Amino acid sequence: MALIKIKKAQPVAKDERKRLRDCTSLIAQLEDVNPVARRWAGRDLMDCPASSAALVNRLLREEDVSVREVILTTLTTLGDEAAVAGLVNCLRSEDSALRNEAIEAMKQLPDEVAPIMRGLLADADADVRIFAVNILESLRHPEVEPWLITVIDSDPQLNVCATAVDLLGEVGSDAAREPLLRLKERYADEPYIQFAADLALKRIAED
Amino acid sequence: MAAINISDLDFEKFREFFYRKTGIQFEPTKRYFVDKRLVERIELTGSETFRSYFTKLRFEASGEELQHLTNLMTVNETYFFREEYQFQCLVNSILPDITSRKSDSNPIRIWVIPSSSGEEPYSIAIYLLEYWAGINNWDIEIISSDIDTKILAKARKGLYSQRSVQHLPEMLLRKYFKRDGGDYQICDDLRGAVEFTRVNLSERADTRAYRDFDVVFCRNLLIYFDDVSRKTAAETFYDAMKPGGYICLGHSESMSRCSSLYKVRKFPEAIVYQKPLEAK
Repeated sequence: MALIKIKKAQPVAKDERKRLRDCTSLIAQLEDVNPVARRWAGRDLMDCPASSAALVNRLLREEDVSVREVILTTLTTLGDEAAVAGLVNCLRSEDSALRNEAIEAMKQLPDEVAPIMRGLLADADADVRIFAVNILESLRHPEVEPWLITVIDSDPQLNVCATAVDLLGEVGSDAAREPLLRLKERYADEPYIQFAADLALKRIAED
Repeated sequence: MAAINISDLDFEKFREFFYRKTGIQFEPTKRYFVDKRLVERIELTGSETFRSYFTKLRFEASGEELQHLTNLMTVNETYFFREEYQFQCLVNSILPDITSRKSDSNPIRIWVIPSSSGEEPYSIAIYLLEYWAGINNWDIEIISSDIDTKILAKARKGLYSQRSVQHLPEMLLRKYFKRDGGDYQICDDLRGAVEFTRVNLSERADTRAYRDFDVVFCRNLLIYFDDVSRKTAAETFYDAMKPGGYICLGHSESMSRCSSLYKVRKFPEAIVYQKPLEAK
């Protein structure tokens, strides 16, 4: 027994997939009983721009975490309207893991998520609005601060404002000072808002 | 332009941000190292202050500046027996676990990516020959891949500077190398024991044939990737490994930050990641 080297004539490994790789076949393979086949299909659909709807459809039912991860990565890479709409749909899911996965995926899509961000921040469901603020936490987009200011100026829900204030403490500039003072007035009896807004104001002043 | 000053608060802010993005944690003792590079990038990008640079760094859609800074903040060097504790983990913990479950006599397969100039795969080969008794009972294949064909040619050649071999015990240096002027030539037996291949980890066509690995070493590569590429790489490794296979990352890298697919395994020598045994 020893260190051995595979013979030059042999490939390092052979590609054992026997299924068809065209887009229609790959979409069909998303329903395969074998998670390995679903995972490979999910990954190869990256080359099929019109596959987002099918991927989202599978994602909402998929129970194998490894397949879900691959589908989310592919949706993030495709990043088209159907992919983003599908990810937004996931924010409304009862499955917390799926919601978190969708938030993480949307953080990677600043340009695609930006056009719908105002809509998300004005959603009727306060939880979705909080998730939208969570997305802003790592979204590389110049509008992040104005969006957060809009939230603390207008959102009627305490928890949504509190989430936004926390983030403003990190990314806020002088522009956030007046809105933070207005928020303190609006929630004069809420100790957490007073604390978080004061902290944000202090950090902005230090900058 | 006035001299750029990085305040304590700036440093803390940057440190926290950079850690979140790359997993690299700078201790206060690294302050000079970090400040120097930050100032360099602030000036090169024409930013007026740390704050304006940090805004660019944080919100630039392409992430290009973050990549520049990451490259600058990481020291891209390698040498024999670098992060040796992982090789100790390989021979004392990982391979004993793999062989205890192994029901066939096929070779144990190890994939090293990136190969760089070969110090890492050759270190593994030396470590197995010197410190793993199981080498008498099992065949081992080491495949070492890199995107850079020039560096692969250098790896195949196996000629190293004094600096590359400085951490090798004298006895091993004498046993596996011969002097070539001021350099050290690795012996033909070791050169013949490692297969070097060109692979772009981000290219599915390149990686899809890489399967059935028992152990993957992917150290100090993922720190150069953005979040999506890191996640894609984690998924690629998942399909490249056998159930129960192990992946070793660099000391500042964490699989948990880019994927939930792997189990964290805390061995006495190192923390590594395992594809679940029940995985398909």
